[in-house]
Amino acid sequence: MNQAKTVLIIDDDPDFVRAVGHLLRSAGYAVASASNGRDGLAHAKTARPDLILLDVMMQDRTEGFFTLEQIRDVPALRTTPVIVISSIYSDHPVFRVSPESGWLPADLFLPKPIEPARLLAESARLTAPGYVAGEATTGKGSELR
Amino acid sequence: MKILKIPKKDLDLFASVLPAFGKLYAPVKRGSGYAFDQPASWSDVTLAYPRTILPPRKFFLPPREALFAFDAGAGYRDLLSEASERQVLFGVHAYDIHGLNILDRVFAQGRYSDPYYMTRRKNTAIIGIDFDPDAQHFARSMAADFADTGFDLFLSDIGDDYLVRVGTSRGDDMVVMSGCLLSEPTPDDIAEFKRRSSERVAAYRTGVELGDLPEILEMEYHSEVWKELGDRCLSCGSCSMVCPTCYCFDVADEVDLGARAGRRVRTWDSCLFRTHALVAGGENFRKNRSSRIMFRFYHKQRGFVAEYGRPSCVGCGRCIGACPAGIDIVSVIRMIRGQSDAH
Repeated sequence: MNQAKTVLIIDDDPDFVRAVGHLLRSAGYAVASASNGRDGLAHAKTARPDLILLDVMMQDRTEGFFTLEQIRDVPALRTTPVIVISSIYSDHPVFRVSPESGWLPADLFLPKPIEPARLLAESARLTAPGYVAGEATTGKGSELR
Repeated sequence: MKILKIPKKDLDLFASVLPAFGKLYAPVKRGSGYAFDQPASWSDVTLAYPRTILPPRKFFLPPREALFAFDAGAGYRDLLSEASERQVLFGVHAYDIHGLNILDRVFAQGRYSDPYYMTRRKNTAIIGIDFDPDAQHFARSMAADFADTGFDLFLSDIGDDYLVRVGTSRGDDMVVMSGCLLSEPTPDDIAEFKRRSSERVAAYRTGVELGDLPEILEMEYHSEVWKELGDRCLSCGSCSMVCPTCYCFDVADEVDLGARAGRRVRTWDSCLFRTHALVAGGENFRKNRSSRIMFRFYHKQRGFVAEYGRPSCVGCGRCIGACPAGIDIVSVIRMIRGQSDAH
């Protein structure tokens, strides 16, 4: 029997964690969570999840961006797929840096509120054996990085 | 020079895109002081800080670095690539930018350019920020209180916004990358910048007169002041370690136990150390503490002026705070000048 893929949700919104956690568990994933970037990073270092879902606006409104940089600084996590899930673009219209411009070392950016079907499809894609983990950070964005 | 402004409240958003230009370092609280370090989040960053414990020199001349590795079988392996990581230093004060510009004269523009230093310099973006001088700053006397070169962006507090001077094309790339966060300043913003600049100049509480100092040092070569300082100095080298422009280093080969491989390592040194002028055969050109502390002052305030046209001191005041014997460069210069307020 295959071991369940593990997903770490880093988000300070307990309702979001509960809802998305339930969704992912029902699809066969093992789910862990952390309510801030510091705890999330510590957990990721030891548990080595197969996928990280990362919120941006936590205690600081840009906390997730900093956490993502720290995740990518850990050699063992450099290629761990990360989906950034945030409403920062709708909450702060002045922030017009497109996630498609390659500046964010995440594998995918999904706006909140999320579409459950899309989250499940992307989670399956990013944790599939054929996925080249960290592709986004070595692709287009690497020209800037 | 392009001049823009950014609301203070959006600085965190701006900082979020900076890792696209390299690993972000900014002033964060460390014990009772501040250090350039990677912030875990933007709220870790303190932009209104007096000075960091160590200057940004540590990013360009690390306290310890391996230059190359050698192996009896594989030969030499250049470790220059380890110096090529891209970095962004956020919140660097003007005197520290001057410190780097001074190091450039030695390591990048001198007769023998240093590829390790130059690689780091090329790969490091500098975002400056202004500061309010405290009782130990004397950057104004050292013509290092305002930076007009040596930065990619420079932020000046004008109230609810920062005025942003764009110094390089890389700085301009940062502006472009951050979308609409920056905008054109108004005439009122410029007026506020000028008002605060004047206030800052007037805020300096200490300073030294530099004009004729090299000549006065020449006249005071045999002054009793050097003996007195030699009696107080502990030769700990703290002043050198915290100095933005000290660049003495030692080089040694560290060989593995099997004696078949090793690395050539460069480490910070100090002219205050007893062994600094010790050479083969046991001769030491500066045996006494007084001769060593005297050398330090003469090198920074006289020799460097002759060689490069300005003192290699930027008036950051770090050495004043770091000296366990209470040796204060401002007081020393006043003592040499025979001024009565020296202590």
